Amino acid sequence: MHELSLVQGLLSQLESLARQHKTSSIRIVRVEIGQFSGIVVDSFQFAFEVLAKESFLMKNAELEIRVPPMQYKCFQCQNVLVVDNEPPAMCSKCQSTLLVPDGGDGVILLQVEMD
Amino acid sequence: MCDACGCDGTSSKVLEINQSLLAANNAMAEKNRIHIESLGAVAINMISSPGSGKTTLLEKTIDVLGEELRIGVIEGDIETERDAERIRAKGVPVVQLTTGGACHLDAALTHRGIHELESQLSGKKLDLLFIENVGNLVCPATFYLGEHRRLVIISVPEGPDKPAKYPRAFIGSHVFIISKTDLMPYFDFSIDYITDDALRLNPELRVMALSSTSGEGFESWISWLRSLCIRTV
Repeated sequence: MHELSLVQGLLSQLESLARQHKTSSIRIVRVEIGQFSGIVVDSFQFAFEVLAKESFLMKNAELEIRVPPMQYKCFQCQNVLVVDNEPPAMCSKCQSTLLVPDGGDGVILLQVEMD
Repeated sequence: MCDACGCDGTSSKVLEINQSLLAANNAMAEKNRIHIESLGAVAINMISSPGSGKTTLLEKTIDVLGEELRIGVIEGDIETERDAERIRAKGVPVVQLTTGGACHLDAALTHRGIHELESQLSGKKLDLLFIENVGNLVCPATFYLGEHRRLVIISVPEGPDKPAKYPRAFIGSHVFIISKTDLMPYFDFSIDYITDDALRLNPELRVMALSSTSGEGFESWISWLRSLCIRTV
């Protein structure tokens, strides 16, 4: 449910960007959500749709969410492994099984496309 | 013509932002941290599910350390003053923050709590500031409040599968407390298993197993708190 407060923060940031750049319409908002951010993509999308409808600036805006693949770092040899979902069973270099999540905890406003 | 980029204003414009949505929260949290340090305190943000024993852990900690260290508490809950009343009964300064529905504390609300606490202190200093977050293992993990240490607590009845299910709370924490160990005989719970799972997410976690009821394992918790408050000057 914290997705709602994050989207509220995003919308107020977009409103101030729009004022700064003198636009009355935002077309596309691109956001990156890490798989370890604890943020549910569907809830974020839902909150955006509900809140954006109420804003003249955002009523036609499209939200594009990018979820990058997960990265794990080997605790022994520091080798970085990139996977789509399940954590890898062992390090491809040293066969250690202690692989630690590397990043992926961010939620980032990447780009805004406006008129 | 658009005076920002010089275009004719008809085509779309792409702004590269690349900024965390938490940037405003985190900037406020950094101010909180400075404010907390000006009170002389080390702050600990406590994150757990409802009912894992955060408030009881605080009560017992105040019983042990209340004479020796100056402790203050900020309580976060969706509704009610109940937790603050329990802490107030122990004679330490406490502020209750009610989020009115929100599932987590954020830096702005915490900022208000620090000011309220400061007015209660009327010029006195603190050694330890506990921030008891809203009982929730998901949402609070996303919001930095300005704390120096973050604590995640899982109680024995909750089961040993929690690190795998709620990784964010473990990745962002410094200490992992397994609470209610006096209930071990009644539950199928392995301390080794949960410790191993938690360390896989965060090898730097300090793990402590304790019971606020029996006092088992309490000594390492208390000495860790004392170590935080050792003044170098």
